[in-house]
Amino acid sequence: MTVSRRSLLITGGGILLALAGCGPELAMPALPGLPSLFDGGDRPLLPPSADGIDLASHLLTRLGCGAAPGEREDLLALGRDPDTAASAWLVAQLHPEGIDDSVCERHVRRLDALAEPVGELYEYRDFVLLRELTAATVMRAVHSRRQLHEAVVRFWTDHFNVDISKGECAWLTPAQDRDAIRRHALGKFSDLLRAVALGPAMLWYLDGRVNRSATPEEKPNENYARELMELHTLGVHGGYSQQDVMEAARCLTGWSVRESHGLFKFFKGRVEFNHHHHDDGAKTVLGQWIPAKGGEHDVDLLLDRVVRHPATARHLATKLCRRFIAEVPPTAAVDAVAAAFTASDGDIRSTMAALVATAEFRAPTVRGARLRRPFDHLTACIRATGGTTDGGPALTEYLRRLGHAPFQYPTPDGYPDAAAAWTGGLLWRWRLAVALARGRVHGTAIDGAALVRRCGGMDAALAHLYGRKPTAAESAPLAAAGDDALALALSAPAFQRC
Amino acid sequence: MSERTLVTVFLRGGADGLYLVPPIGDDDYHRARPTLAVKPPDAIRLDHMFGLHPLLKPLERWFQDGRLAVVHACGCDDDTRSHFEAQDLMEHAGRAVAGGWIGRFLRATAASGGGALDAVALGTAIPESLRSAPSSAAIESFAELGGAEDLRLHAALAGLYASDPLLAAPAHDALTASERLTDLAAATYHPEYSAVYAADTFSERLARAAQLIKAGIGVRAINVDLDGWDSHFVQDTVLAGKLTTLAAGLNAFATDLGPRLADVSVVVMTEFGRRVAENASLGTDHGRGGALFVLGGGTPGGMHCQWPGLKTGVLEGPGDVPMIHDWRSVVTPVLRRHGVDDLSRVLPEWMGESLPV
Repeated sequence: MTVSRRSLLITGGGILLALAGCGPELAMPALPGLPSLFDGGDRPLLPPSADGIDLASHLLTRLGCGAAPGEREDLLALGRDPDTAASAWLVAQLHPEGIDDSVCERHVRRLDALAEPVGELYEYRDFVLLRELTAATVMRAVHSRRQLHEAVVRFWTDHFNVDISKGECAWLTPAQDRDAIRRHALGKFSDLLRAVALGPAMLWYLDGRVNRSATPEEKPNENYARELMELHTLGVHGGYSQQDVMEAARCLTGWSVRESHGLFKFFKGRVEFNHHHHDDGAKTVLGQWIPAKGGEHDVDLLLDRVVRHPATARHLATKLCRRFIAEVPPTAAVDAVAAAFTASDGDIRSTMAALVATAEFRAPTVRGARLRRPFDHLTACIRATGGTTDGGPALTEYLRRLGHAPFQYPTPDGYPDAAAAWTGGLLWRWRLAVALARGRVHGTAIDGAALVRRCGGMDAALAHLYGRKPTAAESAPLAAAGDDALALALSAPAFQRC
Repeated sequence: MSERTLVTVFLRGGADGLYLVPPIGDDDYHRARPTLAVKPPDAIRLDHMFGLHPLLKPLERWFQDGRLAVVHACGCDDDTRSHFEAQDLMEHAGRAVAGGWIGRFLRATAASGGGALDAVALGTAIPESLRSAPSSAAIESFAELGGAEDLRLHAALAGLYASDPLLAAPAHDALTASERLTDLAAATYHPEYSAVYAADTFSERLARAAQLIKAGIGVRAINVDLDGWDSHFVQDTVLAGKLTTLAAGLNAFATDLGPRLADVSVVVMTEFGRRVAENASLGTDHGRGGALFVLGGGTPGGMHCQWPGLKTGVLEGPGDVPMIHDWRSVVTPVLRRHGVDDLSRVLPEWMGESLPV
């Protein structure tokens, strides 16, 4: 009765997991069917030759997971001079729907659990979903041509963090990634916020599903209402009060996630509004009067109010600038980005366009100054060397060792951006570089020799990896490193940065 | 504060608390277990009510020294009697919490930047309790963490990182950790204080845990599983080897650490105890309350239990020892000794008592 499909998937998945294993593996050929990134051929590359990181390399490393071999050349071919080419590249990246990403997506589609409707996701075992979701995330970071879109997806994934290990988030998290974050990553912030707020994963993760007030004695659960303002919109100093949190929580009473009831199992995971659990009295949130009898429309007024609050534009602009410009976000850039957010009615595409247009984003002092977080570093090791990966457990084991496994951060603030949070993992970054360079990560392959050959020498390969000419101190140790030269190149401080 | 390490030993399968720590002073116990009860003369007496199974003899001196605390009628509030459900609830320490309890402990007490290796599971998989740890690895051998061949890169890495304003110090720490791990992998281990580890996997893993702790590379949590406690059938036979393995391993580990044991807390836990009445195949079935142990790390030791007795009216469900002491009341004092000021960050759903263990 309670469907043996679940148990079938258990067994199948279990065997796969056992086979995949971790630890030293034989060198793997490139993933079948995945051509080397972009050009797929062997045409010579023209690595940067300046002492500082040029604009093309800056865009590809800061807004993506490193420049794949040939990607910088392709970017520069888009215009008669580097600035024009950069603008054309940005326009294309800001419209990912116009970029053919079929090769990457064809491989991601093999992870068939992720395509299931919410009610069906429940049929899969927890570890199958986590493994597939992680694999999809890694494969897209490495292989997608829509690099800016992926970078913005990662930003929103942290911003609207849910931890897959919390209860039913085990199967609801893939739905948030697909139906909210990816669908609206470059769309309207109001649509994104609504998809998250009324999505089953967030309703579970921050207890919205149990936020009810059927009788006057029943006090609403404030968990989500607080994080909505503190983390998702206004920011902790955004000018809301405890009273605003309580009133917002009242607006949200009655929204819940369908549990399974006998024959109605099909609807498990469906988000629904229950009038009987809703506090239908009048509310005031952030000075906005929300009249009584609003029912399920209270949430519309609430979300509209917080999205349009000036603190929200400021908060989001600050976080975006921290992620994409500098740990201490330059005020002028924050001002410009916040203004663009407000002027465009919260259009994320326009907001990002404003961010990358700021002088602060392009300043030479900013380039290469950000410590890559472990996920970005791991994927850059593969992307920048033109490698391939199936995003399987042998590779993602390193993400856990580095403390940056996607969808596994416990608290709602998401993985930190501060460099200081990520300096402890160097040992594992080096281990990863060695394992990759020696072909010991099952399901992932990189070819250092080909990279050096195509670049026309080790120094030129370093220039490709670092986005600038290497210094003498950087290139000297590599000359003496023999077979370990690539491992050392990926382990060096310059490649830890973007 | 000196470097402290929390070592968890999870007895998977539901270890029979009435067998490990028999209530020899309770007549109802002997009535319910005509063949499996530990007879008073055989038991190692802990107090007027409880004893240890004779095969746990190596643990006696730690109890007498006041460095081993024993808690009975203890467990989690899952009543499904399902291994999976109960283990899951204990390892997450809550029904609607994110991450594992040890992972949250490590995040709540992490130094900025974290260490190279905060948490280690000695075995093939990371247990749920370590979920969301800042950095964790499941290892079977030190060779997985570093080999002599990686050392070839060390000089070059030291040079490349030496003048990096952000990364010079973390790189130095990482190189030191790497060298120590490489040494561990290469050297034959010589336990201290005349400790002798048995040749079984459990003892080998505890010896590795002792090595990691002594290496001083900042490992703050270690988990070791000991499987095979699901004694539905011929319990005496099934558990004899387990008890021997458990006691010998813990004794060797505690001995080997010497004075360092003051900074190392060992928490021995299991997902549930077993049915009071033995079954027809000389085994016991899934129950509720069981026994937990805390060894070292500053515990005052002793026997802790408000024993409810085993009268029919007291037993829970199909005839099980009720859960009188939530296991979290045992780990809260341990967590405090390991630097947790705000327990709600580690055990957000727990607001109960703390036992003086």
